[in-house]
Amino acid sequence: MPETIPNDTPYPKHPLVEKSNSIQQIRYVCAIAAMHSASAIPRVIPITHCGPGCADKQFMNLAFYNGFQGGGYGGGAVVPSTNQSESEVVFGGEDRLRALIESSQKILDADLFVVVTGCISDLVGDDVGAVVRDFKEHETPVVFAETGGFKGSNFTGHELVVKSIIDQYVGEYDGPRTVGTVNVWSLLPYHNTFWRGDLTEIKRVLEGAGLTVNILFGRGSSGLSEWRSIPQAQFNLVLSPWLGLQTARHLEEKYGQPFLHVPVIPIGSKETTAFIRRVVEFAGIDNGRAEEFIRNEEETYYGYLEEFADFYSEYWWGLPAKFVVIGDSGYNLALTKFLVNQLGLIPGKQIITENPPEEHREAIRAQYQNIAGDVTTDVEFEDDSYRIHQAIRQTDFGQKPPIIFGTTWERDLAKEMKSAIVEVGFPASYEVVLSKTYVGYRGALTLLEKIYTTAVSASA
Amino acid sequence: MRINLDTPVVESREQRLGTIIAWDGKASELSKQSEYARKSCSSGCGEKGRRLCEMKGPFTQGSVCSEQMVECQAGNIRDAVLIQHSPIGCGAGQVIYNSIYRNGLAMRNLPVENLRLISTNLKEQDMVFGGVDKLEQSIRDAWERHHPKAIFIATSCATGIIGDDVDGSARKLEGELGIPVIPLHCEGFMSKHWSTGFDATQHGIMRQIVRRNPTKQEDLVNVINLWGTDVFTPMFKELNLRVNFVVDLATVEDLAQMSEAAATVGFCHTLSSYLAAGLEQEFGVPEIKAPQPYGFPGTDAWLRELAKVTHREELAEAYIAKEHARVAPRIAELRELLKGKKGFVSTGSAYAHGIIAVLRELGVEVDGSLVFHHDPIYDSEDPRQDTLAHLVDNYGDVPSFSVSNRQQYQFYGLLQRVKPDFIIIRHNGLAPLASRLGIPAAPLGDEHHALGYQGIINLGETILEILSHKKFHEDLAAHVTLPYKKWWLDQGDPFLLVKGE
Repeated sequence: MPETIPNDTPYPKHPLVEKSNSIQQIRYVCAIAAMHSASAIPRVIPITHCGPGCADKQFMNLAFYNGFQGGGYGGGAVVPSTNQSESEVVFGGEDRLRALIESSQKILDADLFVVVTGCISDLVGDDVGAVVRDFKEHETPVVFAETGGFKGSNFTGHELVVKSIIDQYVGEYDGPRTVGTVNVWSLLPYHNTFWRGDLTEIKRVLEGAGLTVNILFGRGSSGLSEWRSIPQAQFNLVLSPWLGLQTARHLEEKYGQPFLHVPVIPIGSKETTAFIRRVVEFAGIDNGRAEEFIRNEEETYYGYLEEFADFYSEYWWGLPAKFVVIGDSGYNLALTKFLVNQLGLIPGKQIITENPPEEHREAIRAQYQNIAGDVTTDVEFEDDSYRIHQAIRQTDFGQKPPIIFGTTWERDLAKEMKSAIVEVGFPASYEVVLSKTYVGYRGALTLLEKIYTTAVSASA
Repeated sequence: MRINLDTPVVESREQRLGTIIAWDGKASELSKQSEYARKSCSSGCGEKGRRLCEMKGPFTQGSVCSEQMVECQAGNIRDAVLIQHSPIGCGAGQVIYNSIYRNGLAMRNLPVENLRLISTNLKEQDMVFGGVDKLEQSIRDAWERHHPKAIFIATSCATGIIGDDVDGSARKLEGELGIPVIPLHCEGFMSKHWSTGFDATQHGIMRQIVRRNPTKQEDLVNVINLWGTDVFTPMFKELNLRVNFVVDLATVEDLAQMSEAAATVGFCHTLSSYLAAGLEQEFGVPEIKAPQPYGFPGTDAWLRELAKVTHREELAEAYIAKEHARVAPRIAELRELLKGKKGFVSTGSAYAHGIIAVLRELGVEVDGSLVFHHDPIYDSEDPRQDTLAHLVDNYGDVPSFSVSNRQQYQFYGLLQRVKPDFIIIRHNGLAPLASRLGIPAAPLGDEHHALGYQGIINLGETILEILSHKKFHEDLAAHVTLPYKKWWLDQGDPFLLVKGE
């Protein structure tokens, strides 16, 4: 080590920096993390063909230190892995993978294995497809997706895993479709900290409207029987700004199945009611049941809001007026819509962090320019937390700090700005999440509780 | 065997120590096979790396890699930056090690902050054209953003395969920035056990940070640890010694001054083996050659050896006598409360040897243990550090002693063998299975919890707390099904599918 370290001169605490390849404090991970899209389906277990740390890394960070969601039946430390060593780098890893799949058939009780690959396999060029094909006649079917870390994020990995299950397991179909049945493609399982509760609420809302719902992931899914019925559904619903569109287009091409794209995940009564009407109209089913459901839900919702209004209108000690959202586009857009339209909060800064594919960005921007009739706001795309925090520091929020909807990475920033913080996305290492939802009618009420408990409990 | 600091790449554990990750038998048998103290070899005995019979099988579950251990060491130094030269997925670890870093800082009463890890975020085209430009950009970014006192670089499987010249970039930028820029070679596939990642970090620190012309501080003791509570300062005060905690939560200056210390100790030889031996070999700082400080005999011997090396024998004897008297009454009560209870220990290797000792001090029966790997010998090769022999000699055998690198599918059978009332764990992945079988776990996140005399009491109290959790776990066990087939669960032998090589 040099004897005199020449960096004792003062330097700016948070210098502004140019965009580069660097990502500090990650907000998404790599494609192999889509092993979670497999384990999110009841009784489906991923098999990871990768180095010794990949499965643990993705699990511990996406599913543990992100709401402490846990591995469930077939995730976490259950997940088989080839734990590739030097010999598989030099000689290839196909034999090792074959042995692992064979023994998994004996040991694990699953309805489907989904092989996902890591950097090593994809770089040395293992023919994983050939290995998997050998298991056609085995008790537990096996599909595969090539998800090497350098190929993309866990968002794109998710679509690869979904496609592999559809193409290699669900297969061809040219029979009739059932009117009123919908496949839902929405939040990214596990990456979205609240996906379990949220998907349950989305399913409840759509069923309330009279639809039959294939929610496909999580507690509300019936597992592979539901996946097998995907081609029979009347249509696909993509409920997210862009994730799921690739799947829907693939299904359109494969089964001639139409899709409806709703970019805004509904939070609160206004958005949820509009969402239901839009889906029912697209399905072309009778809207009697939907309207009755909406009446009942709104009665409950506005009953609570009426009581909440006492607090909201006459709480003495000040409440946040402006807000910042730092998160992936799905929750970012949904929260912004709700906070502006339901609560009348003022958008301070919206930063989208999952690096959405370039072709979707214009459409996402357009959504923000039309948050309400009288409110437009801009949105930035940034995945490097250092630059994200700089952008927030550079913003003038006026007389009091904004409330921050972000992640654990914003805890220090919130302290620095004396802001309240609500952790709403990956990584949320200081939230314990079970069935909680922030979407739909019910989730909105929970969200109100969370926001204002955070604000009030910090007050004295 | 000498530690070789001449090359930037650390020798893996299996090369140096003959580390194994799968074995099943009695603790006494493993100790014998390790041929460590038994042959009273003090140094240079035998070939490099002991040859233990190791089992290998077709079924394996996700393990942990060396790069993760680099993250959790080099990534938790307070005024350094760690660059992860990898695709974005390796960066996932930033989340867990940030959480651990924050909670560790809080436990030590240091200012809580996010860690500073930067991913070079390599993409497909970088696999073709190489990622060195991005690495250099990220190093410059690290400097511009934080002006750190040192920059570490963790390599990855991908950069190892494509052959990026990480050492070349590090040298170039070190010259340019005037701070140590330290490549840590830790490709996941390079070693079968993650503890090589500890060694990789320590290797880089010794090569590029530790001061070469030290001014001795005769009362300074290096304590190689993780994030645990500071139980050492009060203890060392009694001996007029000061603590230099490394590597986690240390500053670069703390690391640099390791060569000035009077001695080096650790809480676990698995973690400290390489650094402690290297400091002795290269910088003349004696490593305390003693069992680990767990249970009475271990703690006594450890303190006495430390006192001998630092010339504080009288102070140590007074402290030992005082502490024995202080903890004895509560330990007697705890033994009464824990009578008839059975524990199972599944932690890192040397640490498990210590924890089993503490449990036996408490009168808890320990008939089974799973360690994630086994080092037949540590880098010092000194028989006084033979932790497994210390356990067997002082506390008797452990009939079911298994080496299994966190293989949950084997853990089921191991628990059936001994039917414990609780388990003790450190790494994740096994407690969830125990929970589904109705067995509570004590996770020792604070690695110092069971250390020293007070540690015996601490662990006893924790066991009482978690035994009470049994209600939760038993209720759960009645309502869940395991993901393992009945055929597998009915097998008596958890090592059925693996065989010796």
